[in-house]
Amino acid sequence: MLDPKTAWQSYAPSAENPWDRAKVGHLYRRAGFGATVAELALGAKDGHAKTLDRVLTGAPESEDFTRTSDFMASDRSMPPGAPQGRLSAWWLDRMLKTKHPLREKMALFWHNHFATSNAKVQNARFMLTQYRLIQSHALGSFARLLTLMGTDPAMLVWLDTNTSTKAAPNENYAREVMELFSLGVGNYTEADIREAARAFTGYEIKDGKGVLNRRQHDAGEKRVFGKTGKFTGEDVAGLCLNHGEGPRFIVRKLYKFLISDTDTPAANLIDPLAEQYRKSEFDTGKLVATMLRSNLFFSPASYRAKIKSPVEFAIGTVRALEGAAGTLPLAEALEGLGQVLFAPPSVKGWDGGESWLNAQTLLGRNNLALALTSTEDSRFGARCDPSQLAAKHDTKTDAKLVDFLLDLFLQGDAPEGARTRLLGYLKTAKDVKYPAYWSDDDVANHRTRAVAHLVLTLPEYQLN
Amino acid sequence: MTTRRDFLATSSLLGFGATVPAFLGRTAFAAPNADKAGAKDTVLVVVQLTGGNDGLNTVVPFTNADYYKLRPTIAIAKDLVKKLTDDVGLHPAMTALAKLYTDDSAACVVQGVGYPNPSQSHFRSMDVWHAASTAETLTAGWLGAALKKQPVPGFHLAGGNETSPLALTGAPVRVPSITSLDDFKLKTVSVTGADAAAQKNVITSAASIAGGSSGSQSLLDFVSRTQMNTYASSEKLASIGKNYTPKVPYPTSALANKLKLAAQLIDAGIGARLFYVSIDGFDTHAGQGGATGAHANLLTQVSEAISSFYRDMAGRGHGNRLCVMTFSEFGRRAYENGSKGTDHGAGAPMFLVGGNVKAGVVGEHPSLKGLKEGNLVHGTDFRQVYAAVLDKWLGVDSKAIVGDGFKAVDVFAK
Repeated sequence: MLDPKTAWQSYAPSAENPWDRAKVGHLYRRAGFGATVAELALGAKDGHAKTLDRVLTGAPESEDFTRTSDFMASDRSMPPGAPQGRLSAWWLDRMLKTKHPLREKMALFWHNHFATSNAKVQNARFMLTQYRLIQSHALGSFARLLTLMGTDPAMLVWLDTNTSTKAAPNENYAREVMELFSLGVGNYTEADIREAARAFTGYEIKDGKGVLNRRQHDAGEKRVFGKTGKFTGEDVAGLCLNHGEGPRFIVRKLYKFLISDTDTPAANLIDPLAEQYRKSEFDTGKLVATMLRSNLFFSPASYRAKIKSPVEFAIGTVRALEGAAGTLPLAEALEGLGQVLFAPPSVKGWDGGESWLNAQTLLGRNNLALALTSTEDSRFGARCDPSQLAAKHDTKTDAKLVDFLLDLFLQGDAPEGARTRLLGYLKTAKDVKYPAYWSDDDVANHRTRAVAHLVLTLPEYQLN
Repeated sequence: MTTRRDFLATSSLLGFGATVPAFLGRTAFAAPNADKAGAKDTVLVVVQLTGGNDGLNTVVPFTNADYYKLRPTIAIAKDLVKKLTDDVGLHPAMTALAKLYTDDSAACVVQGVGYPNPSQSHFRSMDVWHAASTAETLTAGWLGAALKKQPVPGFHLAGGNETSPLALTGAPVRVPSITSLDDFKLKTVSVTGADAAAQKNVITSAASIAGGSSGSQSLLDFVSRTQMNTYASSEKLASIGKNYTPKVPYPTSALANKLKLAAQLIDAGIGARLFYVSIDGFDTHAGQGGATGAHANLLTQVSEAISSFYRDMAGRGHGNRLCVMTFSEFGRRAYENGSKGTDHGAGAPMFLVGGNVKAGVVGEHPSLKGLKEGNLVHGTDFRQVYAAVLDKWLGVDSKAIVGDGFKAVDVFAK
């Protein structure tokens, strides 16, 4: 573990810890969904400062992207009853094509934080409204985000605030706003929840917007965190934000998201960032920038210290292959891997880390990688073909092909034994009896696709 | 039916050689013969009701006037209740389970189960039940600990979005999560059998030599272990016949499908003795309904799925080997809220179903007079139920797992 004094200072390359393709790959995986060959090369050439600026700032979306995405999210394309798959596919398409991957990545962080599921909300319009709220504040003010979330229609349905009345308050939102959205368990009492629940009474949805109905709202005095007042829901959000634990809670969660699944950072590592976050009035963009620029981020403590989420696995693979994939079937495949966008398993979101991998989801990953790299599976179209990508680069010999793929997907992070086995497969695959009608190209392409699939099943590739 | 011997004869599990997890190899041979009387071959199936099942509307105190006062719109009318005793009865949606109780003497209800100072956070309370502990940091599960003592094959039968439960962590080998036998296959696109074998060989052998990354070694080890275990299990299950004809029809529900898969695995004779399944949706803060409605639908699913599963197993001679145990992270508030639902509470019933379960109602129904902040106070600690299951059913010393001072409840016939 790094010295807490220098951990958050900006990384500068050194002889022991140089800027290289592995670091470019690391940055692109965490701040987005992985790099292409060109991005790896450009990042290595430009150096750390320029690359970090590029990743943190992002580029404006193209007009075509914005128009298409907006059209796909219009009332007509996405009516309230639109199926779950269409919602997930819509976001996956954005992740694949965006020019500002960090913003979509952070939107995913907040989606996991305010984990709201269309399984209960049953209204694609509300889900899109929440997505827009989250995405527009992804790198903005968490204080605004938390406050506005209290009247977000999807959230009002998700945690039953829309049916909570003065006569009989419902505690669902009051509990989760403290336990999961701002403070964490142990930093409030059951009495705080019961009192706060009164503040969240009377909120309703009118014309697709959350509004306060004064007649159903309990306007009386409440006592929350030892403070007394005629609090509304907005006031309770403010009380949570002013609670000492708030900034720490978010910093810890972001640490897990951006830096490491495995270590539990000590207080002296978290506190300086929590203090910065509080002082900046919860400026998430600044916090993210500090983390991504830091010595800690570019240290072994962070390197491949996360398990790829299914979305990272799928989007990263398709991006690296410079292919296109139908996002509807992709969304469907991701369900088997354990991650359906707009439908997290519970209000706690996805647990992440080791919980992403079990026997079922692991086979699901292997089999999705197979479907994406082969041309036999018609689900995704044949537009994500490793042999086409390899043909654009110097991959004439088996060794060059394997090294190209290991660099693209892993920046070389595979043991020599894996490389030997991949080469061994390519050799064996030369002697296979192929159908008589296969051309030499058919055989070469089959071998390339098969070995690309094998690279994607390596244990190292499951790490982010 | 595939017998264990057939399985061993045809399985290519042995082909995994050195990479086969020791536990799988060992238990395949050690699997007790189910036909032999007296063999310790009991099966435990844990059914988790996720979200906090409303115990008060599940086992209904239909003679208690307070019950009807606390729940003006969602109470179950006395004449609809499926009576178990003179004072309590099951929700009318649980007819099938009530039949197992009255006609088959194969169901047991433990009332008012909970733990001291109950947490009303779904996640914290679920962790407490999974870890069988109220310690601040909980990292290992009670079933994982049991598997450490008694390493029998187990399965988490999962739904799409489900991750492996904390209860199973700490096992010597990660318990595989599977949704269907069909999906549980390592696929390749290959021209010939030799091509396929060559590809699979790279995949399985590369898993065993992980270590090229300069990053987190512990995480990489975890991935590699999970991969090896998965590939071995996948191979193992490939030999199980896909054509399973249940002795009784199962209802159409996700839970029933999971239990049908459990039945298939039990009947395949591969020595599997532990299953974990869950059904979500019990967090009924709003519009939960009474005799019909959202909560009733959930109870119907639970009751019918478990009943069909038991009858199917009993029809195949596994009835006396089987024990199904249900639990939920907490019960719900005694009084209903303004959304015609109930908020998080405490103290709720558990069910045990099986041929060797002692039919009856165990423990007192929690008092509706002595509520604590509107919540039922538990009379039986859930670790007393775990103790019975561990000591008397799985044959594992419960003290090492749940700790001292939890007297096993009397729920098994012998």
